Amino acid sequence: MKRRDFIKTVAVGSLLPHVPSSLLAQAGGHPDLAMIQGDSPSLIVKEAVAAIGGIKRFVVKGDVVIVKPNIGWDRTPEQAACTNPEVVKALVELCVAADAKEVIVMDNTINPARRTYARSGIAKAAKEAGAKVPYVNPHHLKKMALNGEWFKEWEVYTDFVEADKIINVPIAKTHSLSRLTMGLKNWLGAIGGPRNQLHQGLDYAMIDLARFFKPALTILDAYRILVRNGPQGGRLSDAELKKTVVAGVDYVAVDALGANFFGIKPEELPYLKLASEKGIGRIDLEKLNIEKRTI
Amino acid sequence: MKKERSKKYRLLQKARIGTQIFFFGFFFILLLRTRFPGEDYISNVEGFFHWDPLLALTTAIASRVFFIAFLPAVLTLVLTFFLGRVACGWVCPLGALHQFFSFVFKKTRLHRPKRLQDNHTAWKYYLLVFILISAVFTLDVVGFFDPFSFLYRSVIVGVLPALSYSFSALIGLFYQFNLVGIGDAMIQFFENLDVNATFIQGFFIGTIFIGIVLLNMVRERFWCRYVCPLGAMLGLVSRWNLFDLKIDMDKCIKCGLCTLQCQTQANPYPNENWKSSECVYCFTCSAICPTNAISFPAKFAAEKVETINLSRRKLIFSSLLGIFVMPFFRLSPARHRASERLIRPPGALPEEKFLQTCVKCGECMKVCPTNALQPVLSEAGPEGIWTPKLDPRIGYCDYYCSLCTQVCPTGALKELTIEEKNELKIGTAWVNRNRCIPWKFGDPCIVCEEHCPVSPKAIKFQKIEVERLDGVKKTPLAPMIDLEQCTGCGICENKCPVVDDPAIYVTSIGESRSEKNQMLLDIIKPEENIF
Repeated sequence: MKRRDFIKTVAVGSLLPHVPSSLLAQAGGHPDLAMIQGDSPSLIVKEAVAAIGGIKRFVVKGDVVIVKPNIGWDRTPEQAACTNPEVVKALVELCVAADAKEVIVMDNTINPARRTYARSGIAKAAKEAGAKVPYVNPHHLKKMALNGEWFKEWEVYTDFVEADKIINVPIAKTHSLSRLTMGLKNWLGAIGGPRNQLHQGLDYAMIDLARFFKPALTILDAYRILVRNGPQGGRLSDAELKKTVVAGVDYVAVDALGANFFGIKPEELPYLKLASEKGIGRIDLEKLNIEKRTI
Repeated sequence: MKKERSKKYRLLQKARIGTQIFFFGFFFILLLRTRFPGEDYISNVEGFFHWDPLLALTTAIASRVFFIAFLPAVLTLVLTFFLGRVACGWVCPLGALHQFFSFVFKKTRLHRPKRLQDNHTAWKYYLLVFILISAVFTLDVVGFFDPFSFLYRSVIVGVLPALSYSFSALIGLFYQFNLVGIGDAMIQFFENLDVNATFIQGFFIGTIFIGIVLLNMVRERFWCRYVCPLGAMLGLVSRWNLFDLKIDMDKCIKCGLCTLQCQTQANPYPNENWKSSECVYCFTCSAICPTNAISFPAKFAAEKVETINLSRRKLIFSSLLGIFVMPFFRLSPARHRASERLIRPPGALPEEKFLQTCVKCGECMKVCPTNALQPVLSEAGPEGIWTPKLDPRIGYCDYYCSLCTQVCPTGALKELTIEEKNELKIGTAWVNRNRCIPWKFGDPCIVCEEHCPVSPKAIKFQKIEVERLDGVKKTPLAPMIDLEQCTGCGICENKCPVVDDPAIYVTSIGESRSEKNQMLLDIIKPEENIF
């Protein structure tokens, strides 16, 4: 076995036997979810992270942190097809302040990366805050055992596996197949291979990927949400201003709360229902400890 | 007699090599900069072409429109009138390339120059006449022979993709030997260069290019001597060269080195046979002369200069060829009926005007961020060979991009803002229900709908019921096209998971630029259906 493979295997293995994250959250006395509303995307992110225990709870000194926003589309922030650049920037700033060794921001885009990285404003914002913003590199793709129920293996960008911590920063959008795309669907940007085939079993793919990727923290960007013509919108009227972010460790719960923005109950979404049944996360929002604030 | 070479001309020769390197570098940098610059509008990267009087003249004749951006070409003509073919010897990047390889082939003895007294250099003039006469009859073939078009097209369709392939192989090696850091750095470097590396005709255009370069083994600067119609045009214009060759017969030892080493067969020796229309002022003869006998003194009085010997019979013949060949170019059905896979880039003029204006340079193919624009082989008839088309299986027209229309040097693609571009249709998408996964098998998919960039989407879906082979009834969402919204961008075809023959595909019908390539009756929709 090559050394690289060994490291990867260990890295993957160490991710698997996680205690359900919501339990951890309760153990620390922090709320399960924080939902913060306010005018400044940057401030609400920082407030939300503080509310669930502060960045030091998730990032320790010397960590290599990979931040995974949605940079899929050649769209501006106002069109709400990609994660808000200020949200990404605030997170990078937090990680840098927590003495992360390296902060990487990347996504496997759908439109050409050079275009989406620029138009979304994310590359510039993240670089300003001190992150590295590379394009995905096909040489980093590696077929990995997902050990899923439906997907045994798939090509994954090793960057997401080799990093010490992952921070998941999706944006809340509608999607014609899964109805909504938030935290769980975001992992389609961390993998390669024939992603377009995943649509034939999208809900199952999302569940298996959720089992594989274990982010330390998920921030759902709902500063602007996309309510029509998802997942890439186009007209400014396709987006709605909500000025909110949701932070949490259990990102099934984050998605469940995010569904509220669209007036959809979590159990109406097949993938969330499935995630809850499989014990990947919780969608019983009424039983969760949620801190809601406006600043 | 003292044997000494001229220091002055050796210096001038070095200066000339310097400017050649400079202009070649300049051309190449502009070429590399012809890519998505990180913002929507790109600065003038196609400038080189506007100094080319051959392109200016033929496109103006063929299309009956003078494109104002070509004004600098007039300056080239004026300069050539006074200075001779300095542009060929000092500026032209293709000339520099040929000269470099001629130099290499001479040094390696792959080419041994001969003293030639033949008149074959006249062929380029006949080619020029052929091009101009056929342009009069609206046939524009200049793009095949113009040196800038030829060089640009060859480099971006053949040479750069080949280099890019070699480098990716090299990078692959770095990863194999676990030199990840070097591999990563190189990958990011090439990603930033944004080279389009996939071209249907890369092999042919690349091979032609290599062939033309290898011809320098046959004759020094073969292309410049015998083929280049721009050189011919400048040769015809250089009637009153300020600097004429002069041989000091007292010093001359009649060694013939000057004529032997002359790059373009201008015959410096003997003096009275020097052809100013062939001389590119490279100063090889004056620099190499062992007795410093050759000089180029300035003269200020007009006098008749020896030019190329053109046979009247051959001139008439090439004119007639220009006239009679034209109909052969027009026999293709492409003239009468639009080809379904000929999806022109946005902003393309109506087909007839487009063919008269496009010079097949490949600027649009270079700048396209998705590598979608490809040189045409057969879809547009013989005169349309190497003009651009969008191939949705390779790339698609990115919604927020109008770069190709901005870099087109001749206005064959009308310059458009992104908003203007998005008003246009370049084609229409069709669903092949026989291959579409939901329509055929009842499984969920609608990848096409997800990728459709217009809002509201041009691909809509309906819930359908499909009975599968095993009798199970499925109710997937299946795609349908909204004709009014579809722009023909082709991203649906590009992303369809049925990769070999996509279940959704774009054809050219409905393209805004064409009056004929339409299918729907264009009337105000009646309030009620009377039938």
